[in-house]
Amino acid sequence: MKILIVDDSKAMRIIVKRTLTSAGYGGYLMVEATNGKEALDAIKASQPDFVLSDWNMPEMSGIELLTALRANDIKVPFGFVTSETTAEMRERAKDGGALFLLGKPFTPETMGEALKSILTPAA
Amino acid sequence: MSEIDEVLQEFIIESNENLDELDRSFVALEANPGDQQRVGAIFRAIHTIKGTSGFLGCTRLEALTHAGEEVLSRVRDGKLSLTPQITTDLLTMVDGVRAILRRLETTGVEGTEDFAEQIVRLKAIVSPAATAPTTHVAPAAPVAASKDDHPAEVHAVEAHEGSSVVDGTVRVDVALLDKLMNLVGELVLARNQIIQVGAIAGDATLIGASQRLNLITSELQEGVMKTRMRPIGSVWNKYPRIVRDLSVLCGKSVRLEMIGTETEVDRSLLDAIKDPLVHMLRNSVDHGIETPEARAAKGKAPTGVLALRAYHEGGKVNIELTDDGQGIDPERIRAKALERGVVSAERIGRMTEREITNLVFAPGFSTAETVSNISGRGVGMDVVKTNIERIGGTVELSSRHGHGTTLKVKIPLTLAIIPALVVHLGSERYAIPQVNLLELVRLEAAQARTAIADVHGTPVLRLRGDLLPLVHLRTVLDEPKPAVESEVVNVVILQADDRPFGLIVDGVSDTEEIVVKPLSRELKTVTTFAGATIMGDGRVALILDVVGVAQRANVLTESRERAVSLASKGTGLDQQNGAKDALLLLTRGANERLALPLDQVSRLEEFARGSVEQAGDNQVVQYRGEILPLISLDAVLGPCPTGAEDDGESPLQVVVFSQGGRSVGLVVGRILDIVQDSIVVKPTGKRHGVSGTAVIDGRVTQLLDVRTALGDLNDAA
Repeated sequence: MKILIVDDSKAMRIIVKRTLTSAGYGGYLMVEATNGKEALDAIKASQPDFVLSDWNMPEMSGIELLTALRANDIKVPFGFVTSETTAEMRERAKDGGALFLLGKPFTPETMGEALKSILTPAA
Repeated sequence: MSEIDEVLQEFIIESNENLDELDRSFVALEANPGDQQRVGAIFRAIHTIKGTSGFLGCTRLEALTHAGEEVLSRVRDGKLSLTPQITTDLLTMVDGVRAILRRLETTGVEGTEDFAEQIVRLKAIVSPAATAPTTHVAPAAPVAASKDDHPAEVHAVEAHEGSSVVDGTVRVDVALLDKLMNLVGELVLARNQIIQVGAIAGDATLIGASQRLNLITSELQEGVMKTRMRPIGSVWNKYPRIVRDLSVLCGKSVRLEMIGTETEVDRSLLDAIKDPLVHMLRNSVDHGIETPEARAAKGKAPTGVLALRAYHEGGKVNIELTDDGQGIDPERIRAKALERGVVSAERIGRMTEREITNLVFAPGFSTAETVSNISGRGVGMDVVKTNIERIGGTVELSSRHGHGTTLKVKIPLTLAIIPALVVHLGSERYAIPQVNLLELVRLEAAQARTAIADVHGTPVLRLRGDLLPLVHLRTVLDEPKPAVESEVVNVVILQADDRPFGLIVDGVSDTEEIVVKPLSRELKTVTTFAGATIMGDGRVALILDVVGVAQRANVLTESRERAVSLASKGTGLDQQNGAKDALLLLTRGANERLALPLDQVSRLEEFARGSVEQAGDNQVVQYRGEILPLISLDAVLGPCPTGAEDDGESPLQVVVFSQGGRSVGLVVGRILDIVQDSIVVKPTGKRHGVSGTAVIDGRVTQLLDVRTALGDLNDAA
């Protein structure tokens, strides 16, 4: 029952956590990473149930993280939250194996909608 | 703290951090436009702010950053290349973002300013067709150059929510650090006390325990001190931007190099040097570095180099600012200094080139012919100097005309705990900060009589050929004289404002690490004391402010000479009627008394009669590897009417004057005294070499006109 939140902005990580809580996922343990590289290590070490990642980050971007995960044969469910949402990005996300690409600003409702088929809510 | 507040605070902190980095990235990018990593970092910073501001309901911030992001994404994708104009527009956008963040921080809302003009300009870059500015555009709100403080320096300790991924750092409230430092200070005092008690008691167990306590305290002190340290780069971050903006404004091309950005400095000191350094940078760009054309004409590279260097040395932090500009023309400084009356013509004649260049630090000095809006902000280099000296630092300037200037700033590592010399006067003890200490001199009774020239008005100590003014701590503190005066004289040689002087104390105890405690507000105005500390036995000792003591004793003068350290006001007697002047009192013949202004005297010397040699018509002595022409008072004033009092045996008393690198010695009868007196000068006819008479010490005394006398002396030389 663990969600890994990957974003280089701490303010954004707090916002994501709050939104998840409002969307009914407050019962999950939420852990954080500040870039793709850190996230990769954290995922290998602690197998979260879901990864919610930003796209544009220093060191290793979200899409690079996803590629690296799949190359390592780690099949953890993966979703993007990002403010840039071009058609090309959606394409790359889908090809990489992401379950969704949620545009910012999101609301608890859009977040819940994106997650409902993947994770069971737990308050 | 409410939920939204926490996000907002975090957002402001991290955005400001990103923006500081951004300024640097932009400047680096101008030098190296192909740096994709920089472009990426810049884009990401703006992108993140835009993304978050959407959540916080900051629509104006979102609109502004969105416009910037549009431009940046094109730069990132290689569809647009950065021109200086685009960079300026983007930097203006960054300033706008800062302004909104500042408002958010102070008021909690983003305000009503919509930065429409900036947005229009950014949009015009993306789609040039839409350049026609809309009519409702608000007048351009000038964005203040971001000189303000980093707004979010004080953070609450973050409680970690849930289990977060390894976070190597914790933000700590500065007030907490200050409190810790204070407590460590108390611990140092308690330690000193225990050590003293242990030494008295002689108990082995207690001594052992106190030694351990000693070690641990020292380590703890060092550790806590380190937590207050910040890399100097955190202040320098803003400089590339400042230099860039300035050089664009002045039409110059300047590259800023920063070396040693990781050098750590106590944060309170960092705050104190921030503004002086900016001022120094401004000066270098504005006055130091030439325009590209002028540089090319001199055969220099068109781009000037400003190098900022920081390093630790000898327990101090050294900061150097070097430019390869035109340097300082000593002739211009000389002319300006005279024009503005900063020093007297007579004194400047005795100054070395280096001393003259350092006149730029003198109050009231500014070489800018026109006060530009860059350097001329109402503060001169004297303010820079004062600010740095206030924190126990020094600033020095060296320059090679035509080749560049180096400013060297030295500041202490910390101010809270300092090594100090403990001296006593009667039953009281005083601490003197070691930074001001030059040496200790102990004079036995016999030595004291020869080494101290006079002990009435202004006593002077002869030390290795230099004359140092002496100050009685007792006099400074208005303490009564003791019943029995000690035969031995203890002199602490101190440096105040580059000027050495001797402080006479009853005794010297030891050096000790002391914790500086500020004086209460009521006592803050007493400049003689810098603070107080608690000694090992639990008693309070006052810390002497060396500059304050020197000022009170009136031994500081504007000039930076080391040799002559006698009090003066630096102007001729005739303009100073009624003012206090230091005068050298001497005799000629049996009972003729003469006086001359002490500030015109270079040295007082004694020569054995046997050392006088004849060179042509002149008498000379070999003095400091040079030939010093001598001239007698009789030659200046005519034969002495009262007859000679010369015994033909005692050494010659000689007053040495120097001007323009040449010295001459005036042989006088006896040097009586140095007096500090308000004198009323009465003009006397036209007697050669005499400017007037006055009553000094109850006797009619002729005032020697040194200029006329010197003219004669120069002729003699």
